[in-house]
Amino acid sequence: MRNREGSPWKQALRQVSLIILIAGVVGLGVNWLRTDSLPLVGDWSVRTGTAGDTPAIPLAEAARLFSEQAALFIDARYEEDYADGHIKGALSLPWDDAVRTRFLKIAGAIPPDRVIITYCDGETCHLSHDLAVFLREKGFKEVRELVNGWTVWRDAGLPVESGNGPPP
Amino acid sequence: MKYKDKEATRPYIAGIAYHAARWILGVVFIYAGIHKILDPAAFARAVHLYQILPDGLVNLVALVLPWVELFLGFLFVIGIWMPGAAVLSTLLFMVFMGALSYNLARGLDIGCGCFSTSPAAEAASIRTVARDGMFLVVSLYLLCATFGVAFLRGLRKRGDS
Repeated sequence: MRNREGSPWKQALRQVSLIILIAGVVGLGVNWLRTDSLPLVGDWSVRTGTAGDTPAIPLAEAARLFSEQAALFIDARYEEDYADGHIKGALSLPWDDAVRTRFLKIAGAIPPDRVIITYCDGETCHLSHDLAVFLREKGFKEVRELVNGWTVWRDAGLPVESGNGPPP
Repeated sequence: MKYKDKEATRPYIAGIAYHAARWILGVVFIYAGIHKILDPAAFARAVHLYQILPDGLVNLVALVLPWVELFLGFLFVIGIWMPGAAVLSTLLFMVFMGALSYNLARGLDIGCGCFSTSPAAEAASIRTVARDGMFLVVSLYLLCATFGVAFLRGLRKRGDS
């Protein structure tokens, strides 16, 4: 009798395992068949100086660093977007084919231990993430990413400016 | 027999509610799953932005979770494997709600990644947490209903034997 009362749960457990198993096989199979398949283990790392530190930075912390002038903001969007408006004092470093040449022009002026905050626009915009990985590879230790940076910064009424910004 | 006559309308209403709940969750899961299956890379980014999973698991979850959702949706609509489907959907809604609330609390402004993975998609907010909570309630109801039926069936069988 005990066995019978326990059976719906056992049945559920078996079904849950099967659902996940089938979804796993189909999901990975379809991914394998796709021409643009994802690697099973992607490289999402933006290694910051201290272990366990998250790459993304909350808006409040970014605003604090801004007011203390303790961080350098780098805009990963296209030049036109930057000219239309950007975080006050931010440098423009669009994430495109020419990023390396542009980077060399500004790199000398940035001390390697400077906190850098990259941003672009839109919650799933990955330009700032890719730029953060790139800067980290170039030896900058404290690179953070302000997700959906332009929108959240502007909506919070924090200082912005427009134009082409400081000359490199 | 007497019991049946007296309570004739109650199982009828319960039946409607049960099938309605089943269909609601079915459609929600199919809709949510399809969007993510169509653009796995975008969904992987959304998962990454939640910053909850270790980097090594982001792509795996982004590839498998949408199919779990789609499969669950079909099970709900067809109405088979209900105990497993109800348990899994309840767990999923709890995890989604936890992940959304956690990121709201730590002030990360990220996309919900719930029904759309496009950049113009809705942000994670109190509203998306509340919506998730409503689905969780429907799922919990279905869980109780499913296990109630299974339990009663077990009792009846016990009575027969």
